[in-house]
Amino acid sequence: MVDQLIACPVMARVSEGDRSGRARIVILLLCLGLAAAVFLSLTSGASDASAVTVIGGYLFGTVPDDAALSARDSLIVYDIRLPRIILGMLVGAALAVSGAVMQGLFRNPLADPGLIGVSAGSSLGAVAVIVLGATILAPVTAVLGTLALPLAAFCGGLATTLVLYQVATRRGQTSVATMLLAGIALAALAMALTGILIFMADDRQLRDLTFWQLGSLGGATWAKIASVGPIIVTALAAMPFLARGLNALALGEATAGHLGIPVQRLKYTAIIGVSAAVGASVAVSGGIGFVGIVVPHLLRLLIGPDNRYLLPASALLGASLLLLADAVARTIVAPAELPIGIVTAIAGAPFFLWILLRKRGVIDL
Amino acid sequence: MIEARDVSVDIAGKPIVSGVDFHARPGEIAAIVGPNGSGKTTFLKALSGELAYTGRIALNGRDLCAMKPVETAVHRAVLPQATTLSFPFTVREVVKLGLVGGRSGALPGEDARLPERALARVDLDGFAGRFYQELSGGEQQRVQLARVLCQVWAPVLDGKPRYLFLDEPVSSLDIKHQLIIMNIARDFARRGGGVVAILHDLNLTAMYADRIFVMHRGRLAATGSPQDVLSDDLIEKVFDCRLRVGVLPAGNMPFVLPQSAA
Repeated sequence: MVDQLIACPVMARVSEGDRSGRARIVILLLCLGLAAAVFLSLTSGASDASAVTVIGGYLFGTVPDDAALSARDSLIVYDIRLPRIILGMLVGAALAVSGAVMQGLFRNPLADPGLIGVSAGSSLGAVAVIVLGATILAPVTAVLGTLALPLAAFCGGLATTLVLYQVATRRGQTSVATMLLAGIALAALAMALTGILIFMADDRQLRDLTFWQLGSLGGATWAKIASVGPIIVTALAAMPFLARGLNALALGEATAGHLGIPVQRLKYTAIIGVSAAVGASVAVSGGIGFVGIVVPHLLRLLIGPDNRYLLPASALLGASLLLLADAVARTIVAPAELPIGIVTAIAGAPFFLWILLRKRGVIDL
Repeated sequence: MIEARDVSVDIAGKPIVSGVDFHARPGEIAAIVGPNGSGKTTFLKALSGELAYTGRIALNGRDLCAMKPVETAVHRAVLPQATTLSFPFTVREVVKLGLVGGRSGALPGEDARLPERALARVDLDGFAGRFYQELSGGEQQRVQLARVLCQVWAPVLDGKPRYLFLDEPVSSLDIKHQLIIMNIARDFARRGGGVVAILHDLNLTAMYADRIFVMHRGRLAATGSPQDVLSDDLIEKVFDCRLRVGVLPAGNMPFVLPQSAA
């Protein structure tokens, strides 16, 4: 396909306005980029453990000189860096794809789970379980075990998204201003309720909460991956089936219906999928902002808004960017580490402002 | 055949369309005319399954209420008055959305070329790579028509006629493109499909429509062939305007009728 585009200019002219070829190339490059990001993350960190030695030992059976050092390195690579990388990829992909789906659903490039209060709703659910899990919610946590946290975050995110959609959408048209303002109101409400819970928390919970709210992949373990991994993977696997419908939705709900798209089903599937993916991400890593808006926006500039390509590309770029952000978070103040939410906000917030500047006058607020 | 019996639509408790009987036959252009706010668009929305209605609508013999969106999309395509787009799609990508249901009816393997062919038909050759949002209103309207044409490319599918629903298809077009679009509609009907079009220009209506449905205050005021319907009395009653049919302007005042097109 690459050869086709390069070797056959006539073909390229015939399909003018068709960006699917370029999209495929970008997706291919993003796969390579993700592989590079994984390699970088695996080999960098506060410890000097050599992933190359560890993996080499695993693959080729080569025995390093110092067995004790080798055991320590192996522990660092398998039990600290690898779960953290996998969790980072899951969360990054989940946030970026959720952003893209939400933007398609609201027909608006500024919709982002973090900006419009969905993450705040998820946080509320998660904090409720952390603070009340041993007391009022004890029966719930006893039944659900490690699933209680992601499920509570899912419910919080779902409730917020549903309320937001009802408030901001009239006759299939979503008002940007209403959406953003309703998101601010809902986030404020969720944060106030979270505040009450924090007020009730004890010292140990308080420290956990503060760090968690800033967003971090620091506590990544295989157990956490086992509890949220299936939720995120299921949600991500479902989203590509929404791609064609979301494309049609860009023409408006009525026209999407005329084209044969079951619009109501599409909307509710998207809302549930986004809430599940965002809820699970928030449950394990707290509030990591701006991934959902920066990644799809960059990709739309590159490959256009066709969701069939935008969604997988968002997953790949979201995963890569979060790994890079995490690498920065881990190394910039080593041996301590910065919460990753701070890194994404410092990079993402100016980017968001840049989008607003570029779209000034184009987006009708 | 599309048949509507005693169709009424209420919006927010107010009756917008009341007791309308309507039919559209394959091979014909059925024009809906009437003053602003007479319920034309609302009725077309009921006909396309977008609004809830009372009464009965049958699409090729099947009750519209019992059909899923994916089924109705096979039988008819709808051109709205105006379509805004939320993301920067290229013209080709917009037109290709017409193929999303996968039943264009074109020969196997032809689907990939349909966007270009549809664009050529609406006189937008070479526009495929442009961004939809950067086009003028009239050009956007023609892009949407190209998309609609892709959806029902073959006027007859599986032995059943298909329909074009056009809501003011020529409202933002210059005279050349008004004629091009109306000729596309006539061609679609001649090849066995049916067309339902809301029109404002009574001259174009007289020239192209096989049957006219005149709406007035949510009700059907008259129906029949252009010769039967377009009378001085009816126009005065419905449009509240004293006009006379077929009278040349006095003196040497110029006038241009679409009927004079070569």
